[in-house]
Amino acid sequence: MPVPNSLRCLVRPSTGLPVSIPRTAASLGVPSAGLLGTPLLAAASFSTTSSRSEGASGIAKNHHRGGKKTFTVKKKAFVLERGKSPLPGERKAYRKRIILSNDNALAVPWLTDLGPAELSNENNVARVMGIPEEVQDQLRASEAFKTTQCWRMFRKPAVLVRKETVDLTRRMDRAAQNNEMLRLVVTGDKVAGKSLMLLQAMTHAFLNDWVVIHIPEAQELTTACTEYAPIPNTDPLQYMQPVYALKLIQAIKKANEKVLSKTFTRNAHPHLPQNIPANTPLLTLANVAKESEAAWPVFQSLWAELTAQGVARPPILLSIDGLAHMMKISDYRTPAFDLIHSHDLALVRLFANAFGGGLKLPAGGAVIGATSRSNAPRCPSLELAVSRREVEQRIEASSKAAGSGSGAETTATATEEVPQRDPYFRGYDDRVEAVLRSVEVLRVGAIDKNEARAVMEYWAASGMFRSVVDTKTVTEKWTLGGNGVLGEMERASLLSMRM
Amino acid sequence: MVFIFGVNFGEHKLVKKALERFYSLGPQKSARILARHYIHPRAKVGSLQPKTVTALTAELSTMVLESDARKLVVDNIKRLRDMNSYRGRRHAMNLPVRGQNTRNQIENARKLNRVERAG
Repeated sequence: MPVPNSLRCLVRPSTGLPVSIPRTAASLGVPSAGLLGTPLLAAASFSTTSSRSEGASGIAKNHHRGGKKTFTVKKKAFVLERGKSPLPGERKAYRKRIILSNDNALAVPWLTDLGPAELSNENNVARVMGIPEEVQDQLRASEAFKTTQCWRMFRKPAVLVRKETVDLTRRMDRAAQNNEMLRLVVTGDKVAGKSLMLLQAMTHAFLNDWVVIHIPEAQELTTACTEYAPIPNTDPLQYMQPVYALKLIQAIKKANEKVLSKTFTRNAHPHLPQNIPANTPLLTLANVAKESEAAWPVFQSLWAELTAQGVARPPILLSIDGLAHMMKISDYRTPAFDLIHSHDLALVRLFANAFGGGLKLPAGGAVIGATSRSNAPRCPSLELAVSRREVEQRIEASSKAAGSGSGAETTATATEEVPQRDPYFRGYDDRVEAVLRSVEVLRVGAIDKNEARAVMEYWAASGMFRSVVDTKTVTEKWTLGGNGVLGEMERASLLSMRM
Repeated sequence: MVFIFGVNFGEHKLVKKALERFYSLGPQKSARILARHYIHPRAKVGSLQPKTVTALTAELSTMVLESDARKLVVDNIKRLRDMNSYRGRRHAMNLPVRGQNTRNQIENARKLNRVERAG
């Protein structure tokens, strides 16, 4: 009786069939001991190599003779591990975020919040005072805080009341009392606190229920990065910026909600997307702007209502940062491919008009522009106008002083000459000079040591400045900070450990 | 996606770059087209009004673009060749046309200077 195993030895071996016959026995045709079921592995020679020690099973596997086998490592495609990339807009949001509170900083117990009259009170000079919560929201809505300022180091935003602050806010109050327009350019050295001065003016305005219209960066209007369109029936042709206007209306609405809801329209505005009858709160009017198409007509109506004569209106503060950008030829083009002057852009024109004195507000107000030393195109006319006005102001002040009897300063300024145009230079702009002919100039200079001490005590109380504040340290930091340039002092004492 | 002159552009593409996609429109011409339609240089295709897109397409359809513009180039070279001018002959020989040396570095001339120029 044939054993199935012996028949199997006649079958052509293949990989599918495990055959338990050693190579030598199979080639000789000898029925092996496998028939009897004895272990065949015993016949295989001893080897430590796994292929050999497998014994008979190796035959079936290796009966195909392949080519020479080489060991090649397959090259893996190089994949750079990048992690999750940020979503569109995420990086910018991170870069532009404003942090106004630091829970790790100590709360300053003696810090008092600003009231409506605090910023114009002379007794508050050289004191650090907190910005109330409500005003913080308003300032944030109008983008008064900047990423370059050190708000994120302290428990809550606070400002140093300086001599210049009191001067500025008093001028604002005087203008509002007399229903006049304060036209002021804030200038000064790099990181001297020009934008902060603007912020303080805005704080004062918010606290006193003014309407604040703030343009955080003039360059956003003039560097051709927002949409523009011609305004029909204007001569010379003006241009509106609907997308920016929408953004501005929303900021105005958010920042001035309280005042706008208490102010009512005088006329009806049937041409807007939503009919606005007379005696509607201005807030409702501002709410009409939902899309950029309607933004410009809404802004025009809002502005017409805010400046309407003969009805109760709040004072208005127009503020703009980065003044040099609005005093140049913009990057926009006419259809004929000529560059458009910034003052032909309607929003900028509104500010230029206010600076030039062509704006009459029912309850007075102020237009304040701050120059910038870090992001400013060269603007010779602005520089000239500012320096000229500064000298003229000094001469006026000295002549006043002479009139009142003290003649000591007269001799000092009598020798000063009002700067004139360089006759060999062509880059002046007549329109800019006409606008700035009669503005007031406020130079934000260095702080004195009293103010320096006040601000350093605040830093120390917040736990951000870790040494004793005495005359020596104050003088040291004051000197290190370019003789009292506030931003430089901040760099020298607060930001020196920044990694 | 926005169709300008029969080509589909993504929303986030700059209008200027979208225009420069068409043969014969370079930085100068595209800047002028933008100015003519009151489009600021940093505008994206997605932000265009439908009527602006129509106007752009209308303007582009009046211009010599793409295959017409290529044909114009070829015709100009052909004219030079037909009048048997030096420039025409140099084009025909795939050699530099404007007096460059030919000892070496004339790969681009060999590639491009032909009577039936590709583009």
